[in-house]
Amino acid sequence: MGQKDTNVRMSLQTLRVLEAFLENPTEPLAGADVHQRCGIASGTLYPILLRLESAGWFVSQWESIEPSSAGRPRRRLYRMTSTGLRRASEVFASFNRGVLA
Amino acid sequence: MSQRNERSMQPEFDGVTHWLIHHAARRAPECLSSRLEEEWLADLESRFSALSRLRFAAGCCWAALVIVNDYPRSRVPVASVVLTVKGFNTRADGNFSYFSLRSGTLFLIVGLYAALFCGLTTTFSHTRGLAAPPNSHNHVLNPVPPEIEMTYLLPGR
Repeated sequence: MGQKDTNVRMSLQTLRVLEAFLENPTEPLAGADVHQRCGIASGTLYPILLRLESAGWFVSQWESIEPSSAGRPRRRLYRMTSTGLRRASEVFASFNRGVLA
Repeated sequence: MSQRNERSMQPEFDGVTHWLIHHAARRAPECLSSRLEEEWLADLESRFSALSRLRFAAGCCWAALVIVNDYPRSRVPVASVVLTVKGFNTRADGNFSYFSLRSGTLFLIVGLYAALFCGLTTTFSHTRGLAAPPNSHNHVLNPVPPEIEMTYLLPGR
């Protein structure tokens, strides 16, 4: 899943999601965390996460907790891949060049 | 609405939000359905107010529609989660539908507005016709009696 490298249509919301992950690329985030950081509604957020995962920019896995002991259900955590990190950095670099030029 | 009231409403709305999320997950591609339902129900727990939870659940319904639209219709979902998740398509790979979801929604909204406009126009035209004052209506006058031939009364006849 993470080896695939596909172009992703860039929207403002996609950039905001990428920005949230780029703050700490090694930190896995759940959809709820991304919502808290970006304020993107769930109807927009989850399709973006799935597109980025499908394109190989993100990988996801279930949180390794025991729901009964944690007192809450396990969450799906997304993490940026090396491909995603490189591509997102390129996108923001080109974006900054375009704005500042 | 205060935060306290929203919290007190939460049990009433919980059934609705869970049903909405379950319904949304069922509309998603089969291979993603159970995963999305568990993921959305887990993320729902981070919302506390009833309205926020309802908005989240409604957003999940919209997300399911978008995900179905993104998913390639030409590929039949298979049993392997890994393969089918790889099969999830992005716009860069091509979309096999005639219209995107956004265009379809736009057409739907424009159509609804047009229907509403036509309905209102028709209603107002009928209402205006009925609302005219009664004295402005044409009244049928009493029929004029036919003229009597009075030629026989004329002198000389």
